[in-house]
Amino acid sequence: MSTSQAIYAGWMEIPNSAVEEEARRRTEDAALAALVDQYATALYRVAYSVLRNPADAEDAVQETFLRVVRHRDTLNEVRDHRVWLIRIVWNIVLDRKRRAKTRPETDDVAELARVLPSTGISAEELAAAAQHHAYVLACVEKLPAKEREVLMLSAFEELSSVEIAEVLGITESSVRSRLFRARNLIAGLLDHTRNSK
Amino acid sequence: MTTDHHNPNPSARGPESAEETLRIVASLPAPEGLEDRIHAALGAAPRHARVLRWPTALKPQSNWMRTAAAAAIVFVVVGGGWGVYTRVEQNRPAKVIVMPPRIASPGGFSGAGAVRTPETIPGPAAPQVSPVKDGKKRAAKAGSKAAKKDTVTAQGAGQK
Repeated sequence: MSTSQAIYAGWMEIPNSAVEEEARRRTEDAALAALVDQYATALYRVAYSVLRNPADAEDAVQETFLRVVRHRDTLNEVRDHRVWLIRIVWNIVLDRKRRAKTRPETDDVAELARVLPSTGISAEELAAAAQHHAYVLACVEKLPAKEREVLMLSAFEELSSVEIAEVLGITESSVRSRLFRARNLIAGLLDHTRNSK
Repeated sequence: MTTDHHNPNPSARGPESAEETLRIVASLPAPEGLEDRIHAALGAAPRHARVLRWPTALKPQSNWMRTAAAAAIVFVVVGGGWGVYTRVEQNRPAKVIVMPPRIASPGGFSGAGAVRTPETIPGPAAPQVSPVKDGKKRAAKAGSKAAKKDTVTAQGAGQK
């Protein structure tokens, strides 16, 4: 190769990256599949706790992973995939819930009785439990949004207060104070209804 | 934290009861085949944005295409520079406005270099009234006022 050819090749050469891109795409696909296998269940439970509708929750999980596909170039930059994914699904379900506010609530007792664990209890006990849980969930819905969100996320055993803070984009002390207020408010709501009965 | 799924009817009442309910809802199992359905949805989703592809003969990787592109860039840069150079006129004499010479006043106030002073506009003039006519007018005005007053008094008496 002459000097001019070498300069020309070094100056304007476009690397033939088809093979490299194919390999990179396969790596990303494998990483994405691993994320689905690892976190799909957790994301579904987060989505279901807000939407309380199995089909909507599954849609939200699918949408979460579709968003991940769109931003998979930044997948390597994510520090904690679990919290990152929960944050995405959390935003999706809150958005869906906000948009579906005009629709009737699906927190009916029959739906809860269908999904609640029923091993070792009678049908009457199951119905009573479903009724109680539906009532409690209705009280939770009456809480202010900030307190309600913290209370709902705190129900996930795998989420620490630091991770809840990351999901909501607030400080850990804010999480604690909101959780404290939420507990007080829900106690007040439950007491008020019990006394009125 | 433990949740007794076998006894979902909570005896506790208060915030613990609410949290227990939320824990039960949060720990519900995902439907079977969820992962498979998500894999299928991801497989069906478009992986890349749709872009226009170069024809094989015009691929940027080919050498002659690179040469042509480089030549086009050089042509545009040089041609643009030459166009600008030819349009800029050099050594052109600047336009000079010749001002009239300033006439220095011998003393006192100067005209502050004013070339032309506007003429003064004449102010409004009050009409001149002769004193005899003015006295007649005043007398006539006083007479009409007295007559008017008498008429008003007479009308008032008539009404009473």
